[in-house]
Amino acid sequence: MKTITRSISNKFRKRTADKLANLLLLIPTIISASFVIFIIIFVNERGITPFLAARYGADKVSLLRFLMGTTWFVPPNQYGIFFIVINTLYVVLMAAAISVPVSVITAMFIAKMTNSRIGGFFQTIVELLAAIPSIIYGVFGLGIISKLVIRIAFVFNMQTAGGISSLSTVLVLAIMIFPTITLISITAFRSVDPDLEKSSLALGATKIQTLFRVSLVSAKSGIFTGIILGIGRALGEATAVSMVAGNAGSGPTFDLFQTTRTLTSTMLLGLKETSGLDYDIRFSVGIVLIVVIVCSNLILNYIKKRVGRFA
Amino acid sequence: MKKNRRRSADKAANIIISMISMVGLLILVTIFVFIFQRGTGLLSWKLFSGNYYPETYDTYFSGPIDTIGYARPADLDPQAFYSEKWGIALIDDLNFEGKHYVRIEYVDPETPLTLLPDKNKDNSYSSIASGQSLDKVIFTDNSIFLSKQGAKAGIELFDNSDGIRDMLTTTPGNGIRGSIITTGYLILMTLAIALPLGIFSAVYLHEFAPKDKWYVNLIRRFIEILTGVPSIVFGLLGAAVFIPFTSSLFGASGGNLISGALTLAVIVLPVIISATEDALKNVPDDYRQASLALGANKTQTTFRVVIKSAVPGILSATLLSVGRIIGESAALIYAIGTAIKDQIILTEKSTSLAVFIWSIMAGETPNFDLACAVSIIIMAIVLILNFSIKLIARRISSVRT
Repeated sequence: MKTITRSISNKFRKRTADKLANLLLLIPTIISASFVIFIIIFVNERGITPFLAARYGADKVSLLRFLMGTTWFVPPNQYGIFFIVINTLYVVLMAAAISVPVSVITAMFIAKMTNSRIGGFFQTIVELLAAIPSIIYGVFGLGIISKLVIRIAFVFNMQTAGGISSLSTVLVLAIMIFPTITLISITAFRSVDPDLEKSSLALGATKIQTLFRVSLVSAKSGIFTGIILGIGRALGEATAVSMVAGNAGSGPTFDLFQTTRTLTSTMLLGLKETSGLDYDIRFSVGIVLIVVIVCSNLILNYIKKRVGRFA
Repeated sequence: MKKNRRRSADKAANIIISMISMVGLLILVTIFVFIFQRGTGLLSWKLFSGNYYPETYDTYFSGPIDTIGYARPADLDPQAFYSEKWGIALIDDLNFEGKHYVRIEYVDPETPLTLLPDKNKDNSYSSIASGQSLDKVIFTDNSIFLSKQGAKAGIELFDNSDGIRDMLTTTPGNGIRGSIITTGYLILMTLAIALPLGIFSAVYLHEFAPKDKWYVNLIRRFIEILTGVPSIVFGLLGAAVFIPFTSSLFGASGGNLISGALTLAVIVLPVIISATEDALKNVPDDYRQASLALGANKTQTTFRVVIKSAVPGILSATLLSVGRIIGESAALIYAIGTAIKDQIILTEKSTSLAVFIWSIMAGETPNFDLACAVSIIIMAIVLILNFSIKLIARRISSVRT
């Protein structure tokens, strides 16, 4: 009798232990999930203060001018961010235009055209590029890319401010998103149904024809995911971009040899004080950055769905 | 005919594609060549152990100097000028800004210069050592040496004098000891916060959470979103939440290492959660059932059986996080600041190695050589981490099959 009660109470204790563990584990999980909400609440809270008379009184920033402005800062309190958004989208799209073809072809080469040893070697190269921190890309951009841009400008008889220019930014970003797009495209190419390729070859298509007309088309959706991630990375990239973008006061700049200003470089450059309008307005820029990233993500996902439909 | 043309078109396409694929290799090699070319010259023990800020010594030697003389060492740079009377060698050099200065190249260990009384501090001694710059000397015979006169003139003045009334030397500075210590602190604190949080979250999500409940899906979605947030936005989070939090808790004024570690913890959290969950997925269900069949309850099964089998996966998540912490710059610029420090205090500002590079590159005259030297260190660590992760992954897959 005694043993039975003990076993029952034991069982009961074990079950409460499970319930307790469940509850205790739920707490860290909720904390982990709550950081997104923290970001949304606190960055917004700080980012709207420049527009509030309650905080800055007569010095408050005009929201309309902030959103439509083509000059970053007119003392004491006029800020404009419209041209920065345009600049950011411009350099990111240019970077994607350079990086996407190279990445997709590299992925095709690695996944489909070589044996596993050479493919593995090249994949390791791409993985290493992905692992390099952005500050090193910044040093590289300032030390090599900007010098290269000076040479290019010289060929075209153009002036650059020591290579600090839109073109340098575009090239640095193109290099930085190359591994992102390539690695995901490799997975996409590898998951193409081999039967499709074999049937294409059996129908008399050459290897290259098969690669471009069958494999590429089937891997399209996966490649697009890579492009979306790459563009997301490029939009949010801060350190390396800030080192080569320059500090253009107004815009938008479409001239590749002129200095530019992106959302992230605006947030990082000249950061000295940790209070006041010049500091708080950076949070407003941060909100705009988040909005731009979310919108571009939504638009690209929409395009991806549309493209995927017409296979 | 047609077949031939098709074949040659294929060959041409093949060659073009292979060439384009070399671009990645080319970029990697260029980066390596660049940072090694500029940076290796500075890699030395002094870089690791030295302070960033130069320190000036104000010393004197009333003399007179012995006339025994000190022999010129055989391995001394032939371009250096040497005084046998004083046992000191001087050389002309340029600093990273391209400005000329006179560097002390060698000091004989027997000469009195190795330990001289300091004018600014009572009963304190400073040693003249190689690497310091010689800024100004007033000899006892009132002849004056200024660094703009060059090393040769300096040695002549030394040879003609018997004592030193006043000598100013400056330590080289540009050492990264403080940044290395900071990086170490940040790694330790970040992992101490993020590992338990991440592992427990992953265990809950994979082992305990009810399937397809709305709140579980919501939690997963939120953690997923965190992966796509750019690091500078995490920096804003650090500045808006963690700096005030640590200020009120530890009395810090402004950005500090703890607020930086908290920010980094949020950054690596999704990495740890997803890698741990992957590791948990790879634990065979047989283990769980065997443990449950032996009478263990779910909690015991999870913590004594399942987690143990997931350790290699958790280890690789940890290494991945360390790589992320070492490379992170944008978030830390906001969450800590960019002030380089030699004395590290947890509640004050300091720079990790990556932010150190940002700080020395941001000025009017970017110090490329030092930035590249630190880049080599970061790259070496990142490469080692990456290969370790690959080894662990290979080990896991070989155990599984």
